[in-house]
Amino acid sequence: MLRYIVQRLIAMAITLFIIISISFFIIHSMPGSIVDDPMLPEDVKLAIEDKYHLNDPLPVQYGYFLKDFLSFNFGTSIKVQPRVSVFDIIKAKLPITLQVNIFSLILTVPVGIILGIVAALKKNRAADHIISIMVILFISVPSFVFAALLQYFVAFKWGLAPILLSTDATLTWTKFKSMILPVLALSFGGIATITRYMRAELCEALNSEYMLLAKTKGLSQVQATVRHAIRNSFIPLANIIIPMFFSILGGSMVIENIFGIPGLGQLSVSSINALDHPLTIATLFFYSLISLLSILVVDLSYGIIDPRIRIGGRK
Amino acid sequence: MKNREKVLQVKNLYITFNTFSGKVHGVRGVNFDLHKGETLAIVGESGSGKSVTNKAIMGILSKNANIEDGQILYKDKDLTKFSDKQFTKIRGSEISMIFQDPMSSLDPVMKIGKQIMEAMLVKENISKAEAKEKALNLMAAVGIPEPEKRFNQYPFQFSGGMRQRIVIAIALACDPDILICDEPTTALDVTIQAQILDLIKEIQEERQISVIFITHDLGVVANVADRVAVMYAGKIVETGTVDEIFYNPQHPYTWSLLASMPDLDTDASDELLVIPGTPPNMLYPPKGDAFAPRNRYAMKIDFKKEPPMFKVSDTHYAATWLLHPDAPKVEKPEALTRRIEKQKERQVADNE
Amino acid sequence: MSDINDVKNIKIDKEDFEFVQLNEDIKDEKFQGEAIGFFKDAMLRFKKNKASIVAGWIILIIIIMAIIGPSMNGYTYREQHIDWALLPPRIPGLEKLGIFDGTKVMDVKKDNLDEKYAGCVVKILDEYDIEYMGSKTSMVKAKIDIYKLKDAEDVYFWLGTDSIGRDLWTRLWRGSRISLFIGIMSVLINMFIGVVYGAVSGYYGGWVDMVMQRIIEIIGGIPSLVLIILFVMYLGAGIVPFILAMILTGWIGMSRMIRAQFYKYKGQEYVLASRTMGAKDRTLIFRHILPNAIGPIITQATLAVPGAIFTESFLSYLGLGIEAPEPSIGVLLAEGQKVLLDHPHLTLFPAIIISLLMLSFNLFGNGLRDAFDPTLRGQE
Repeated sequence: MLRYIVQRLIAMAITLFIIISISFFIIHSMPGSIVDDPMLPEDVKLAIEDKYHLNDPLPVQYGYFLKDFLSFNFGTSIKVQPRVSVFDIIKAKLPITLQVNIFSLILTVPVGIILGIVAALKKNRAADHIISIMVILFISVPSFVFAALLQYFVAFKWGLAPILLSTDATLTWTKFKSMILPVLALSFGGIATITRYMRAELCEALNSEYMLLAKTKGLSQVQATVRHAIRNSFIPLANIIIPMFFSILGGSMVIENIFGIPGLGQLSVSSINALDHPLTIATLFFYSLISLLSILVVDLSYGIIDPRIRIGGRK
Repeated sequence: MKNREKVLQVKNLYITFNTFSGKVHGVRGVNFDLHKGETLAIVGESGSGKSVTNKAIMGILSKNANIEDGQILYKDKDLTKFSDKQFTKIRGSEISMIFQDPMSSLDPVMKIGKQIMEAMLVKENISKAEAKEKALNLMAAVGIPEPEKRFNQYPFQFSGGMRQRIVIAIALACDPDILICDEPTTALDVTIQAQILDLIKEIQEERQISVIFITHDLGVVANVADRVAVMYAGKIVETGTVDEIFYNPQHPYTWSLLASMPDLDTDASDELLVIPGTPPNMLYPPKGDAFAPRNRYAMKIDFKKEPPMFKVSDTHYAATWLLHPDAPKVEKPEALTRRIEKQKERQVADNE
Repeated sequence: MSDINDVKNIKIDKEDFEFVQLNEDIKDEKFQGEAIGFFKDAMLRFKKNKASIVAGWIILIIIIMAIIGPSMNGYTYREQHIDWALLPPRIPGLEKLGIFDGTKVMDVKKDNLDEKYAGCVVKILDEYDIEYMGSKTSMVKAKIDIYKLKDAEDVYFWLGTDSIGRDLWTRLWRGSRISLFIGIMSVLINMFIGVVYGAVSGYYGGWVDMVMQRIIEIIGGIPSLVLIILFVMYLGAGIVPFILAMILTGWIGMSRMIRAQFYKYKGQEYVLASRTMGAKDRTLIFRHILPNAIGPIITQATLAVPGAIFTESFLSYLGLGIEAPEPSIGVLLAEGQKVLLDHPHLTLFPAIIISLLMLSFNLFGNGLRDAFDPTLRGQE
């Protein structure tokens, strides 16, 4: 188990190192230098030169860069919020994004699991077919199309929900209502993925030999299903639920723009469009970090949930 | 043996399966009785309907199976009429079953002890401590060393043979009267096979339960069974005591089975008999004797009319027209006769 | 067993007790029916799947339209008509039915009806007053012929125009062409790299496999979205950068699958038999192992196309879309999103096409998977 964790950590460190290196490479080889813009105020320009040690040889610059990234010192924003520390900007935006994403996760996981269980138990019957159609629709139609449809019809035409996110600072009822549509748009894909996976796993578990033994030893169908089949089909689910957090996060890059949510997604879009490279790279670094952490959590949680790994130390 | 109490009677059981290609006639009128405290072996190749018959007894037939006709009488009740709820009551506590593959029949993520206790806690009104006590005793009884330690382990920490012992312990947890063993040793190493067979025999004698032992391996049958029923194409073609089946087989299919079985004395000069042809397609069950197309001794009548069960002795019956008084006398294949002689000699030698 | 003793009473002709095949050599029955090849078998199964067949037709129609659509009317994808910006859809023939007739329901001041909108009002739906800062204004909800309003009475833009008066029909199909091209090209290249990488890794095994798998683990650890964004930022938006960006991590899935197939088949008896008879690596790989994977390869490739199309659109939303004036479905969607509430048609049509494409590719891929591997049927 310990060796397994160490292995994973080393792989993660290498991945992180590669991401930072690519970022460095990109910042330095962008067409034209980042300080070329004649519109840039002189003090900002100096700050950048100082920050990236632009007058030092490349390897030295790289050393500084690496050190800065590892200490979360990303410099200041150039254009989106000039002279403000990138880390502070991200720190301010992150909670807004997390709030929407966590709501989406709270909706996605139970709904996906329940639909998956229903589909598996009613396999090849009406309920299963309806859920299958829903799954293929939700998986195929991109989240931004759902967002546009929800915004136009539900919010604009029928007036059932606000068009944009409320600007209330705290989680008021108005704010909550305005979060419904973005959360829905973010969740459909995830719900479908979990439903599909849960159904497949549970169908397999229901046909397993241990279910047969559970029945022949005298458990009723319901007891056997709950105690053995569902329990077993939950285990591989961790495989997709935790990375799902990252895919929701990725989806929110676009959804935040559509619904005017001032979070990390909107920040990255505006920094990409404003060519504010330090900010863009730092945001992307954060995304990578969250993704890597979620992969690590999956690996570790397997160690906890699945006795075959916890005790056996193998997968 | 004959006067013993009958615990289970299967009467004219007929089971079909709906498949995409049509109706498959899996079991076509099976009759047998199970007596108290005996071991009945059901022998046949895959697809002969032996497992299906027993799944019907347990009420775990797949959803596409239909019981078309017949009865399964247990304690004066017809199990073919039982609902799943009714079955739940008798499963485990009255009739229990163990399966072929111990690797997959245990829940991989539940502790062994919990799996053994589970049925007791659900079905019997006993406390957890009592259940644990009973489970530990059972584990010891099925030959698990250090049951206290093993109690809290998971299936993957057990070897194949040990897992099958656990499965047996689970099956015995609620003291069933009948234990159905569906090829319990097929997936195990040969050395382990013998241990498990001994264990089943021991348990059967100790607890005086009745055992139905399903297998395709005649070698196994000789060791454990009191009586044998040979199945082919959904029917029992011959039934008798172990000695009758092994030393005086009547049905050509039984001959072929016996002659195709290698034993320690088989050497290069002995020819192992191969049964030619393939089993019939049960989508279209054949008219007459299903074995006829593969049978060297098939007569015209075999293709026209199904043979009834001819009585050989009080305990021995066979469904072949060769037993009809008008039929030509046929000698068993020479190789088989030789083999039977040898076996008899060995038996005598063993007894001395 | 009770009726056994009646047997002797059954009357049977003597001659029925003649042996039929005593001295014959009984042979296994011949396999009945024609042998069906793997692909024919898969085709037969595929044809039974109605949804996949329909999906296949939809894909085909969209591909044909992507080829001929842009040249079906007189406009080009970059031709601007500033005066005719944001026109609603208008199709000859259909306009008489009241749809695609170039009209739009608008809320206008009543006072403007006779001046600005004179002659353009098709129908007045509602009249109401609004109060703003104490003054009352009479408003009218009216269906207005925008084409007339903008002096374009004889002009037909089938799906309307965008904010600088470019024909949406032409741009939509040209955009589909580009999105499809990016999607299909990147999947083909991914497939090639994935097959080679997976085959080498799976076939040779041992330390080669170990090293190659560690590399995959590290590359796969980088979130592909981040990698793609960085890459497109660096190369600039365009068809080639998009395809290259999607190749960065896209081949990993395919190579994993191929590697698994090689592990599964390389130890099987027929491969070992061929090896003992001196078959070369090349023969084993291409003749004996790879053909087993053709079904999964085709399936996985089909299912990867919608992913690539999605990524392209996603990048457009992030402002990394293909460079103007070239359209792609993503670019059109992102442009439409900006004026969604007032001019939904600009979002609606690209949204329909991308949804249809993704749905069809998914259904088609599922059908292929079921056809090639019947054991997976029903597992969605």
